Amino acid sequence: MNYFQIFGLNVQFEIDTAKLAEIFQALQKTVHPDRFAHASSQQQLLAVQKSAMINDAYQTLKNPLKRAEHLITLRGIDMPSEQASFGDTRFLMRQMELREMLEEVSMADDTDAALLSVNQVIDTEYNSLFINLQRLLATNSEQSNTLACDDLRKLKFYQKLHVELDRLEDKLFDAD
Amino acid sequence: MALLQIAEPGQSTVAHQHRLAAGIDLGTTNSLVASVKSGSAQTLADAQGRDILPSIVSYQADEILVGDDAKAHAILDPQNTIVSAKRLIGRSLADIQGKYPSLPYDFAGTQNHPQINTRQGLVDPVQVSAQILKTLSARASMSLGGELTGVVITVPAYFDDAQRQSTKDAAKIAGINVLRLLNEPTAAAVAYGLDSGQEGVIAIYDLGGGTFDISILRLNKGVFEVLATGGDSALGGDDFDLMLVSHFIEQAGLTRPLSASLERQLLQQACQAKEQLSSMDTCPVSLSLETGQWQGELSRVDLEQLISPLVNKTLRSCRRALKDAQVTPEDVIQVVMVGGSTRVPLVRQLVENHFKRPPLTSIDPDKVVAVGAAIQADILAGNKPDSDILLLDVIPLSLGLETMGGLVEKVVTRNTTIPVAKAQDFTTFKDGQTAMAVHVVQGERELVDDCRSLAHFELRGIPPMTAGAAHIRVTFQVDADGLLHVSAMEKSTGVEASIEVKPSFGLDDQQISKMIKDSMSNAEHDMQSRMLREQQVEAQRVIESVNAALVDDGQLLSESEITKIRAGLDMLGRVSLSLDSNKDSNEVTKQQVANIEAAIEEVNQITATFAQMRMDKSIRTALAGHSVDEV
Repeated sequence: MNYFQIFGLNVQFEIDTAKLAEIFQALQKTVHPDRFAHASSQQQLLAVQKSAMINDAYQTLKNPLKRAEHLITLRGIDMPSEQASFGDTRFLMRQMELREMLEEVSMADDTDAALLSVNQVIDTEYNSLFINLQRLLATNSEQSNTLACDDLRKLKFYQKLHVELDRLEDKLFDAD
Repeated sequence: MALLQIAEPGQSTVAHQHRLAAGIDLGTTNSLVASVKSGSAQTLADAQGRDILPSIVSYQADEILVGDDAKAHAILDPQNTIVSAKRLIGRSLADIQGKYPSLPYDFAGTQNHPQINTRQGLVDPVQVSAQILKTLSARASMSLGGELTGVVITVPAYFDDAQRQSTKDAAKIAGINVLRLLNEPTAAAVAYGLDSGQEGVIAIYDLGGGTFDISILRLNKGVFEVLATGGDSALGGDDFDLMLVSHFIEQAGLTRPLSASLERQLLQQACQAKEQLSSMDTCPVSLSLETGQWQGELSRVDLEQLISPLVNKTLRSCRRALKDAQVTPEDVIQVVMVGGSTRVPLVRQLVENHFKRPPLTSIDPDKVVAVGAAIQADILAGNKPDSDILLLDVIPLSLGLETMGGLVEKVVTRNTTIPVAKAQDFTTFKDGQTAMAVHVVQGERELVDDCRSLAHFELRGIPPMTAGAAHIRVTFQVDADGLLHVSAMEKSTGVEASIEVKPSFGLDDQQISKMIKDSMSNAEHDMQSRMLREQQVEAQRVIESVNAALVDDGQLLSESEITKIRAGLDMLGRVSLSLDSNKDSNEVTKQQVANIEAAIEEVNQITATFAQMRMDKSIRTALAGHSVDEV
């Protein structure tokens, strides 16, 4: 299923997200089950299926990393599984360092400052990887796609780290 | 000579007929029903002019009392008078007794399916809710002067699958057609959104008797998109009362256990004190004990000290919801207050501090949910075909599967827009394995034991293959009511695996049918005629909608296809109306129900492609309306 086509968009990484949202709402106004609440069971079922598909397409395209993954898959490249390790030893080292930083936050004297500094490190590294991803996905060659794939997996790591950081922040805040 | 009626192309020939619909706010403490009458949504009152129905049902020797009539029995006859059934539905006995240790009921039934022993026998909390729904639906029929097409019932956004399913089951037992389960804060947003016409991010802070919900929505051109929702399905104004009760017990030097009627008396005093302190600084408290009258006093400062930890807990949920919605408190242009408990001054004050703006309280917080539900019911019933309003809601809690070692793998994460469908592939680990058990849970935690068990599914009929060869794709679909449906298929052979669902809580289909029968005087006969009526309504719906579709999009079909469809419709029409007069024989009725079902299925099959084509066409039209320059 090509999610870009569902929204009538060109198959490319850079999209107009405001336009995406506008088309999404227009499509949902047409297919949402609420439009068929008084119709036959058959129509209701069909509406649920279409609406769910459009929701999924929207969520995928709206989120840059999911959009990148969808695009890469459409270009015929299989993403390695989440568990597969990185061949890049430098990045492996970096992963360990970042995890250590995260663990040290709760032991810091000033947890707020520690949280903020980890957050900044994660954001900076995420952003530079992201700019690289944008550049790689702008061309559609086997080499650039393979590199983009690596990049994307790294970005996903940062995203996970961010979620953990949020959770940590909640925990520290709740403990107050 | 009769003139021929010719419809304008693109317009349906189905005469627009106003369908009666209502919105029901099925609350923990109080319930309401509202409907759109001559263009404006209003709550409907009973013969005595009261629109609020206390959510209380009393099982007396020869009758079942609901609302104010039941309230009178709450103190004198607490064992047979069920208050706040909404806190009991879809919950286990351990859940209930852990949270409310001093309920005066005589619980029976099983751990995961508790019932209450009353003088009318065992009563399920779902049946208690059904009584309230029945009363309100009857009030609406009376007030609107006809049978209702359907109702919208509101539920707390934070209700899990079991609680939603139980609410729908209650409606089924009450014989009510549910157009949609609508989240309470979303309903409030509809009532408010139409009122103000503002666009942007709004927060709905809903503190009812038994639940707390926070929803963050974006309003844009009639679309209400829920960005995030959060809350606590076991925290509400009643907990304020419980805090006060404990405080009074301490002050009066009492020790638990106390008699059921003294517990009720304490609760009544607590409730009264809380309400009075909204406008006064102190209020008197008095209890009639066996040892005589006890007099005490409570100040607003005492009250605020007791309840502020609870209010702060709601603010923590607000913070999390804002974060989930990826907005800051500054992005929020309005905060809407819903629920009677938002009348407590401390709640208003702390919410104002949190969002840095005074919350909106202009719409009666007790009625706003019912009003919103009524507006949505009117739209869903088809009375507003040109309406621009669309509600895009989310699933409040993640759905996951149990994997090795009691861990949870998330399939659908919370705050995903519904409806949603996600597929997950499984394989066998033994040669020739033909069955597989899947455990579905709901919650955010990583361990199965920390989440709520929803159901155990058993997949059967997997074709025997070597271990790891079978690819079973299980599809989890959450519909617009927030309810989960599961289907499974073996991918390489296309064999549909059958699924046996064992809900962890709540009722299974057989139990529901039994309750429907129990609620009828002439069980078997009434049950059959009710099923017949339901099938006839569905048949009518099919005929109407296919006819309208033929008028709108007949050009998509060939002459012979149209003829075939028309023949199917004629057949369905004849089958659904025949034998209507023969009301005596259950067997004949049963047969007719089966015949109508078969005829509907027949029409569904002939029109399946047509329905698909129409849907695709409407999607193309919607896309074209958006001048997509990039195609």
